Amino acid sequence: MSHGGGESGRLHDKAGHSGKRKSRVSGDEFARAIAKIAVAQLCETVGYQSFQQSALEKLSDVTTWYIRNMGKTAQFYANLAGRTEGNVFDVIQGMEELGLSQGFAGASDVDHCLASSGIVTEIVQYIGKAEDIPFVYSIPPFPVARERKPMQSFFHICEESPAEHIPAWLPAFPDPQTCVQLSAGNEGDAVFNADKIEPARHHLKMDMSYMNLPQHFTSIGSEGPSSVTFGNSARATQGTESNPFLAAPLQYGEKEVSHLVPPARLSEEEAVRYPVEQNRIMDNHMSVLETFAPAIEAMKSRFCDSEEGQKKVLLNQRPAVQFKIRVGKNSMAGAPDLSPQKIGIENISEWFGKDSENDDKKRRAEKILKQSIENPSELAQL
Amino acid sequence: MNNMSSSNSQQQQQSSEARHDDDAVLTEFLASLMDYTPTIPDELVEHYLAKSGFQCPDVRLVRLVAVATQKFVADVATDALQQCKARPAPVVKDKRDKQQKEKRLILTMEDLSKALSEYGVNMKHQEYFADSPSTGMDPASREE
Repeated sequence: MSHGGGESGRLHDKAGHSGKRKSRVSGDEFARAIAKIAVAQLCETVGYQSFQQSALEKLSDVTTWYIRNMGKTAQFYANLAGRTEGNVFDVIQGMEELGLSQGFAGASDVDHCLASSGIVTEIVQYIGKAEDIPFVYSIPPFPVARERKPMQSFFHICEESPAEHIPAWLPAFPDPQTCVQLSAGNEGDAVFNADKIEPARHHLKMDMSYMNLPQHFTSIGSEGPSSVTFGNSARATQGTESNPFLAAPLQYGEKEVSHLVPPARLSEEEAVRYPVEQNRIMDNHMSVLETFAPAIEAMKSRFCDSEEGQKKVLLNQRPAVQFKIRVGKNSMAGAPDLSPQKIGIENISEWFGKDSENDDKKRRAEKILKQSIENPSELAQL
Repeated sequence: MNNMSSSNSQQQQQSSEARHDDDAVLTEFLASLMDYTPTIPDELVEHYLAKSGFQCPDVRLVRLVAVATQKFVADVATDALQQCKARPAPVVKDKRDKQQKEKRLILTMEDLSKALSEYGVNMKHQEYFADSPSTGMDPASREE
């Protein structure tokens, strides 16, 4: 960066300084940058050709400190004299106080006139011999004050005050529509989003707003079921638009889901045997069994290996499921067909787990089979 | 009694004349301030004066503070420059003999800290950070 042409360059300081500089961010950056430029110009006037980065920063910091100290001292003297606005004598006194370390002519005089102070003469001399070099850039007055649009009062929006205890000069209540949306999205912070409501407001209906407001405030306070009911309908509509994960859960049958197609053979058999039952349940039942078929097979193979019994239930698409329990074949003829379909998977595993050569257990197995034949409603458990 | 009263009146006359002179000087000075444009911009000075609470609608006071600050900085810089010149120049073997004594005038932290210490600002600066091969070397001989 060239300052009015004359400086040949800057010595870049050690890398540590630049790293530190970036971490220190304050709101005063603009003023400090301008101070750095001004100080660099002054150094060039004095005779320097270049400078270290850290040295320039230090000197500009000292400059800003000097200006602030001057202001503080001048203000102090003005307040001491009982004034709020400073005048030239306050400034001269401030200059004297800051220049005491260096000394000036007439500093030891106790009650000298301020107008003829040595400091002033020094300044006059300085102006006389110093070159008049203005600042290189033209700066707008800063800091820029942004005008904030204040919230309009009841009086501005509409003539009537909503209730007797609320005066008309207070800012108006926000639009109830925006309140509903905010409470649906974020119940806890509905109160703090008042400033976002302003641009969305078109026309305020005072009657409607006051019917909704008690609910609105109670919802904020309680954060209980009242808030849920209050914002539920709005939430359902909004949630689906914004975030599918926050949407209300779908009811059964609301959305069409593709049904799993069961194998043709099994479904036919069941339809033949138990036409009373619902096909859909059967389908689901079939689908579950289908999915677990390989697992069940693996389980059975394990049990067969470990145990003495030779129970085998084949769930594949084989015509006959053989179930060897050493009972009369007639009674067990229908069992193989039933067992994988009617009895749950847990029962099957229990069956294999209880494998033994005792007749009692076999009788128990028979009972279970009969029960399953008699109670087709067990299917619903699956 | 008469002498005292006359001397008092004389003193008063003198002081009033002096006061008039002083006021005149000050008024002239303040008027001349508007002709001189300080290097430190008015907006910056106004910003920092407002930060410290000094309120004044008069532009001349702002200019006065700016000029005082400029004088302060110029004094510090001049002292640092003298420190820099007073240091013996490093012997640089050039082909041309004329430029042996010339030295780049660089504002360094060392000179600045010495100059500022006379003005009441005590500065401590790290000698070096050992993060590059050229640390600790004389800045004038360091390659840019």
